[in-house]
Amino acid sequence: MEPIGIFILAMICQVYSCAANVSDSVERMQYASVAGEEYLQEDKLETNLNDKVYFEFDKSTLDAEDKSLLEQYLPEIKKAKIVRLEGHCDERGTREYNLALGERRALEVRDFLVVKGVSGKKIRVVSFGEEKPLKSASNEKAWAENRRVEISLY
Amino acid sequence: MNKTLTSLNTSFLILLFLSLIFSMFSIPNLNIDEKQSIKVNFYELIPQDDILFDSSAPDTLIKKETKKISEINEKINTDETSIISKFKINKLDIKNEISKIKLSKEREDILRVSAIIQERISSIWIKPNSLSESLTAKVLINLAPSGEILNFSLIKPSSNTSFNESILTTMNKMTFFEEVLFLERKLFEKNFRNFNLVFKSSGEIE
Amino acid sequence: MIRFSSLLFFLVSNSIFSILEIEILKGSDNLSKVAFVPFGLESGIEENYGSEISKNIENNMLLFGEFENLAVNEMLSYPSSENDFYYRDWKVLGVDYSLIGKVNSVNALGNLNISYSLFNINRRIKILEGEIVGSEDNIEGISKIISNRIYEEITGLRGIFDTKLAYVINSDAETYQMCISDIDGKNEQILFTSKAPIMSPDWSPDRKKIAYVSFENGLAEIFIQDLQSGERDSIQALGMTNSAPVWSPDGKSLALVVSFSGNPDIFLYSINNKRLIRLTNHYGIDTEPSWSPDSKKIIFTSDRSGSPQLYEINTKSKRKKRLTKDGNYNARGRYFPDGKSIFFVHGNDGNFQIATKKLSSRYIETLTSTSLDESPTISPNGNIIIYATKDGLNGYLGGITLDGKSRFSLPVKNGSVREPAWSPLLN
Repeated sequence: MEPIGIFILAMICQVYSCAANVSDSVERMQYASVAGEEYLQEDKLETNLNDKVYFEFDKSTLDAEDKSLLEQYLPEIKKAKIVRLEGHCDERGTREYNLALGERRALEVRDFLVVKGVSGKKIRVVSFGEEKPLKSASNEKAWAENRRVEISLY
Repeated sequence: MNKTLTSLNTSFLILLFLSLIFSMFSIPNLNIDEKQSIKVNFYELIPQDDILFDSSAPDTLIKKETKKISEINEKINTDETSIISKFKINKLDIKNEISKIKLSKEREDILRVSAIIQERISSIWIKPNSLSESLTAKVLINLAPSGEILNFSLIKPSSNTSFNESILTTMNKMTFFEEVLFLERKLFEKNFRNFNLVFKSSGEIE
Repeated sequence: MIRFSSLLFFLVSNSIFSILEIEILKGSDNLSKVAFVPFGLESGIEENYGSEISKNIENNMLLFGEFENLAVNEMLSYPSSENDFYYRDWKVLGVDYSLIGKVNSVNALGNLNISYSLFNINRRIKILEGEIVGSEDNIEGISKIISNRIYEEITGLRGIFDTKLAYVINSDAETYQMCISDIDGKNEQILFTSKAPIMSPDWSPDRKKIAYVSFENGLAEIFIQDLQSGERDSIQALGMTNSAPVWSPDGKSLALVVSFSGNPDIFLYSINNKRLIRLTNHYGIDTEPSWSPDSKKIIFTSDRSGSPQLYEINTKSKRKKRLTKDGNYNARGRYFPDGKSIFFVHGNDGNFQIATKKLSSRYIETLTSTSLDESPTISPNGNIIIYATKDGLNGYLGGITLDGKSRFSLPVKNGSVREPAWSPLLN
């Protein structure tokens, strides 16, 4: 009785994994480029507010301070045609991983803004990983300044 | 009658087989430290029955042993029901302990010389990068009592040519193991007249 | 009775096994000492090609600190043929190998005929003898061929003196250059200059193309550049970010990272029909793919466990296996050429160092000792790792041999050098 049960279970698993394979291999992506740079032709809107949010090492979560900063920002963000979020990391860790992490950070900010009522359509997200540090020194202070998301409005 | 004979035969054969298996795997491994280990086979070291006391055995150890025995004897006095059987066991213990002391002295000498030889080879063996392969090669060495290397041969080469070459190059650089001069002649003949060097590419346990 | 005697035989045969065995695990920290005797010239040849060739070979062989040399002025004799060669002249100087050679003739077209021999001094045998014909304009090339042959003879590993290195130079905030050069740093070529960052170069297996990531259009995008024509093609796999391209061992596809709506996953991209096949599908970060030498598996970094760790996935069955457990940062893994070990960036107490691990073992072994080491790349023979590190404000390339005996750094460039990628061998 039992071996038969296991056999059937194995068969089910087999069939399932085959199906998953097929659906994956036929998956052809036809996404439009999300971060077209056409808006860069437009004028950048200047604000007096701090346009950067900072993060912990290898983290992409927003703390209370970041959130209150973004809240202050909201009226201006809502006025802008395009909101550009640029994610960055410090130099520690590997470059490709940091590229993904920078993207995570920018997305975290985007998600917060969307929850607060900003239209997702006008938000552009881009990551530069560790490629564009603000400070090139190798110390805690420089690293903290480099782990950031920069917000620019157009 | 016949049946019992055959079953006796079979059991005997099984015993024979087991003894073979045992003989192949029973070489004890003695670790000097994490990275360097010396294999010593204790068959060679089991003393003859007639050797009971050895003058070279450290006095302190013997004192310790006698103390132990007296302690045990005290215990025996308190428990009179099994005096005889326990006393027999104690006699055996004494014999074992003392031969162990004798053994440890010989073992120490062998280990000391082995460690020096190991160190000297290690200091000149230029180990090739063998990637992640685990290679082993065995060299048999014949020594003269003077420590001179009379002959060496790669009795079990590894599958890697440059590994084997590096070993031959190393052995060609060595001419003497003077260290054996300090050994008792008997110990030399038993252990260092012919001995093996086992070169290994990595220290991991497979 | 017979049985008893055979039992006795087995007991006696035990003593065959009982010979003293001394295990040798540790090797010497010393390097093999090689004497590069200036090559001789057949009488009548005027130009001193001989010493130029042997000097080139010497420089090649010493490039990664794998050997020690004997200075020419310390040599007791300068033989150029076997007849003049005496082992004792080299034995007394502690030499392990001697290379001698001679330029036999130069013809009207400027072709040199060179013969050479390599001796193992300790074993007192000639281990290599060769002859080579080449143009006088290509002394460097001839020297590399001889260097490869003697390197292979001494180490048992493939010679790597005709390999190349790709790297990125960031000379100021607005200048990024994709460069390649010979492995000795000579013949540097700038493939592409941009105002935006460039990263992740990877050689095609035939050494004719390089794939890399460029931000020239404002976001991470993968380009393939042909080295001969200089032509560049964006592969436009689409999605938000395309990055981390690595060629498959057959050169027909790339493993790469595509991030759709901000979730980076590993994909296979077929170069001919431009099809994209998904390999991983996880809400965590999956990035930094690299192929196993048999192209059956792909190693990648994922933070699915909460911190970046290495995993491998079978490209057919898509079965995944976690490879690293120790520490909270193990990323950008690559396989050794034999596929049995991996090397990667290991974060330890805030230091990021290059480490290796046998796939069969759980122990991680750290190779480097500086604190911001990244982007390791291995020589095709698996003996040397070059990596990027930082000294003050400038990035430079460091190197280490896998036995840890030699550490070196590559010549300083004008700017920050990063992301080295060692080319495959020419086949």
